[in-house]
Amino acid sequence: MAARALPEVNIDDKVFTLKYYVDEQKSHLSLRDPGLCLKCAQKPCLSFCPVGVYRLDAQGQVVVGYQACVECGSCRVACPLHNIKWDYPRGGYGVAYKFG
Amino acid sequence: MVRLNYDVIVVGGGPAGMAAAITCARAGLDTILLERGRFAGAKNLFGGVVYTASVLSLVPDLFSASRLPFERPVTEEGWWILSQDGVVKITHTNATLRESPPRAFTAFRAKFDAWLAKQAQKAGVLVVPKVRVIDLLIKDNFVCGVQTDRTASWDDHRPAQVKAPVVILAEGVNRILSIKAGLVPRDFSPKEVALSVKEVLQLPKGELESRFGLQKDTGLAVELLGEASLGLPGTGFLYTNTSCLSLGVGLFLIDYATHNIKPYALLEHLKRHPVLAPLLAEAETLEYGAHLIPEWGFFGLAKLCGNGVLAVGDAVGLVNPLFREGTNLAIYSGILAGKAAIYAHKKGNFGYHTLRLYEEALKDSYIYQDLRYFRKLKTFLQQNKSFFQTYPYLLNEVLHLYLTAQGRAKQEVFKEICQLIRKQRGVTGLLGDFVRAMKFLKGW
Ligand SMILES: Cc1cc2nc3c(=O)[nH]c(=O)nc-3n(C[C@H](O)[C@H](O)[C@H](O)COP(=O)(O)OP(=O)(O)OC[C@H]3O[C@@H](n4cnc5c(N)ncnc54)[C@H](O)[C@@H]3O)c2cc1C
Ligand code: SF4
Ligand code: SF4
Repeated sequence: MAARALPEVNIDDKVFTLKYYVDEQKSHLSLRDPGLCLKCAQKPCLSFCPVGVYRLDAQGQVVVGYQACVECGSCRVACPLHNIKWDYPRGGYGVAYKFG
Repeated sequence: MVRLNYDVIVVGGGPAGMAAAITCARAGLDTILLERGRFAGAKNLFGGVVYTASVLSLVPDLFSASRLPFERPVTEEGWWILSQDGVVKITHTNATLRESPPRAFTAFRAKFDAWLAKQAQKAGVLVVPKVRVIDLLIKDNFVCGVQTDRTASWDDHRPAQVKAPVVILAEGVNRILSIKAGLVPRDFSPKEVALSVKEVLQLPKGELESRFGLQKDTGLAVELLGEASLGLPGTGFLYTNTSCLSLGVGLFLIDYATHNIKPYALLEHLKRHPVLAPLLAEAETLEYGAHLIPEWGFFGLAKLCGNGVLAVGDAVGLVNPLFREGTNLAIYSGILAGKAAIYAHKKGNFGYHTLRLYEEALKDSYIYQDLRYFRKLKTFLQQNKSFFQTYPYLLNEVLHLYLTAQGRAKQEVFKEICQLIRKQRGVTGLLGDFVRAMKFLKGW
């Protein structure tokens, strides 16, 4: 692939167009071992997640903003260290597309 | 949930699950469909184009409805092959494509699936949304029911179990229950699925028609190649709806990870393409979303059934990305699985050897033949990079030279074209690609 600088996008603006019923009691996503992320050189989850659920905090630790998840399943299989504990949200919770 | 025993349980309220449930209920089977979304369609996203014939095979009186569950008829189709700043458009339309009823429509899943759910209810299916199936009940090697994430009742807080001698898994691409049922040995890898992102874009009133040359009863559906996927294996799409556009793009999941590509940055790059930007001027994003597409194909195909269990649609991997088939294959497989469930109930036997009727029917159908025929598609696309990385750009350059040749000696122009081809792909490369493409198309 020829190198291209892709535009900077504020993903929060896109997420804003979505409707969610957030399960405030329970996150359906979590890191099995947050320490393991420090050893993950490339951190692909910061790229491939289509809604930017995985971000770095000020200390460089990966944090999981599960509320924005659209349940695509990508991080279930694409974390190279299998460090993401993945589940669907409880029935009725999570994203609800108006169009889809 | 009131009652906990049924003839058939269907897990998942997409087109595959709805087709299976409707087929069973129409034959008099007591059928329950469990869907984790707030309503059927809430969790689903596609391009998307639905094919009328497949919907008619499930709902024969489709056109007697006062409101169709679709957006626009698709009367013009094809490809826009993008370079970094240009395009070669190959689209087709003719009188047949403009005949009524249209052979294909654009649609939204939140509306289409919800409409299918209404048809299912009419057929007698108990459609239960907001319920997630978390596990299968397996007894003596037979799947005999499901465990849900709802409590059994107000005073019994254990998760409710629903039982039936046949469970039809229509869970979509994330085939978690299919693995539990032993139909697939392992999860898919990031090389075996495509991740697509999409925006629904609202244009100022009247602009959709004027910018895309549409009338009330015409519509455009094009696949976007080349720069849309940055020259990587993948495609974009642009489909016209009644008053808005669906624009999206997808790559193999592995490629986002390997090249550090953010899906939304890829889509934004597409939106800013010099050819697309003016078409999208002043567009407002009504909704953004993302979904996986199963691309494991023939070699990654799940077993279609086991004792007391059948799998249909995306859960099995029934899509043909080259021909944009998915919802129709989901519907056809759902109907076939439903028929096998009916047969099993007649025989009173729910073992693999009875349910195999579905496997046999699917293997006799064009769905399976196509899967076989295109079994090397993924490898072909991943190994023959020039089809994405070189040819779209080359085609644009060659056509540009040809079309701007006025005022020059044409022999010189043709020489320049030949040099360009030689430089970018080489004669051996070109011939090799041709042979490989022919071999692939011949199904070798
Ligand atoms: C970007 C994109 C573009 C596409 N474009 C087209 C197109 O133009 N034309 C076309 O024909 N096809 C297209 N497809 C493919 C098509 O959308 C799918 O093949 C089709 O939707 C498969 O239907 P399904 O019923 O098997 O699965 P799905 O539609 O995924 O339905 C699965 C359902 O099961 C539910 N579910 C999952 N797990 C559970 C559980 N544990 N408990 C309860 N419910 C559960 C889900 O919520 C969902 O409703 C496209 C796909 C994508 C992603
Ligand atoms: S890819 Fe997996 S291991 Fe790496 S940073 Fe992300 S969550 Fe952690
Ligand atoms: S499931 Fe998809 S949307 Fe949700 S966190 Fe994982 S990659 Fe992101």
